Amino acid sequence: MKRTSCMDSFRYMLAVAVALFVLAALPVSAAQTLTCAVTPDYIPITFSYHGAQLSITGQSAPTDDLIVSIISKSTDTALKYQEKVGGLVWMKKGTLEFKDAPGVYLLHSTADLNRILAADERNQHLLGYEALRGHILIEDSKGNPATGNWFDEYLKFKKNEKVYDIQEGTVLRQHGVEGNTYQAKVAWPYQAPPGVYTVEVLAVRDGKVVDRASSNFEVKSVGITAALSKMAFEQAGLYGIMAVVIALLAGFAVGAIFKKGGGSH
Amino acid sequence: MYMYLPIALTSVNALLVMGLGLAVGLLSGLFGVGGGFLMTPLLMMIGIPPTIAAATDANQIVAASASGTFSHWRLGNVDFKMGLYLLIGGFVGGATGVQVIKILRATGGADFMIKITYVVMLGLVGSFMFVESLNAMRKTKKVQAAAIPAAAPKQKQGGFFASLPMQTYFEKSGVTHSALVPLFLGTFVGVLAAIMGVGGGFLMVPVMIYMLRMPMHVVVGTSLFQILFTCIEVTYLQAYSNHTVDFVLAILLLVGSVFGAQIGTKLGKKLHGEQLKILLSIIVLAVTVKIVMELMMEPAILLSYAGGH
Repeated sequence: MKRTSCMDSFRYMLAVAVALFVLAALPVSAAQTLTCAVTPDYIPITFSYHGAQLSITGQSAPTDDLIVSIISKSTDTALKYQEKVGGLVWMKKGTLEFKDAPGVYLLHSTADLNRILAADERNQHLLGYEALRGHILIEDSKGNPATGNWFDEYLKFKKNEKVYDIQEGTVLRQHGVEGNTYQAKVAWPYQAPPGVYTVEVLAVRDGKVVDRASSNFEVKSVGITAALSKMAFEQAGLYGIMAVVIALLAGFAVGAIFKKGGGSH
Repeated sequence: MYMYLPIALTSVNALLVMGLGLAVGLLSGLFGVGGGFLMTPLLMMIGIPPTIAAATDANQIVAASASGTFSHWRLGNVDFKMGLYLLIGGFVGGATGVQVIKILRATGGADFMIKITYVVMLGLVGSFMFVESLNAMRKTKKVQAAAIPAAAPKQKQGGFFASLPMQTYFEKSGVTHSALVPLFLGTFVGVLAAIMGVGGGFLMVPVMIYMLRMPMHVVVGTSLFQILFTCIEVTYLQAYSNHTVDFVLAILLLVGSVFGAQIGTKLGKKLHGEQLKILLSIIVLAVTVKIVMELMMEPAILLSYAGGH
């Protein structure tokens, strides 16, 4: 009888232990799976479009640092550069080609990039301006590597356009009933061209990238904005005539409205 | 109130752009200049790519100059005959200028020389107009004080110009010239305008005043008439070949500029020719100073998209 009772209490304790283990383990394993969602995932460009506010959310392991990036496909960009001529005046001297340069480069992180990620990892994943410096090739019009501080000038140019930006410490984490979640608010610049963009979230542990998740969003011209843009390229002649005729009509119409201003000298 | 521009792919404050249009349209109606020298850099400052800024500005000048030409025509201030000769010359000059610039650029260092020449020329034209108008205004005052009726200035051109063939009378301007003179001067300004990448109003207006001896108010109306046709051509070619005309931006600008041109014309009616000339000379000198400053001071950003002035 005593033996049965002992067995029962042992079984009972085992069941409780298993149940507790399962309960404890479940949320942990769920939180450790890195997820990423972007809201809104569709941004229509209408007449009143002035950029958008993106909210990037998901779940992550509680102690990992996070880097949220929106880096568009790298392309070659040709830009005019100015130099001092004759030691006196500033003039456009020629063209520089910035090879393999992303058009949009937005980065948010939980902490200082240099502190959370080793240099080789930063270079490998193209994270931080120093990694970009090593990645983008700058050539003159003859294909020779350009001398001078042109990468810094390129950064200045892109930052001024608001399409390059790094903000550290802006990915916020919460540990609550929904597990370990994170959120980053990204100001999407209206200067960025329409297209499909990828948000990528990297989990960083001990200076290394250990996990990644991504999600897409689309920025698309719609309505009259899209129609005008299409017409300008596909029916350029008609578009030109329309632009001239409407300008003429507007000019003459307002001229006629102001007809009371007549009289001569 | 922000509006997205489908070709420039950027968003602008609509009220600010309409305000720019109003201010530049006013200059246009007052002095007979297109105002591209002012509008293109202002548009670039608010984030419009240079090629789109220049092409779209031409589109809005079509509206402003149509509005201005219409008002000046009602006032009897447009010399269509002179305008036509200058226009033909301008077209020839524009085409020649484009070729000249290709040759100059191939030799290298041409940009520097062109810019310096332009600055020196604007500076000289502005200073000459300023001094000349100031003297004329003083003279008028003296004449009025002495109560002697002012004689109408003799609109006669002597020397070399008078010896040229194809002499013809320009009724509206009250001058007689060889048809070759406006044709040649139109070509000259056209070449310079094409090389500089500007409309040429600032050179054409002084040329009409001092070389063609036209009355100031007819100069403004005739210059606008000529600018209207030049800008129609530029707008169409830019839209057709380069897809750089932003229709939405042009509409925003022209909403302001067509009214500005009307206000400018009305204001011009209240001013004497000499007063208009001295005001224009001050603006020409201010533009000269602005270009000199731009050339001397290190730009905040040394890189830019290709195109523009």
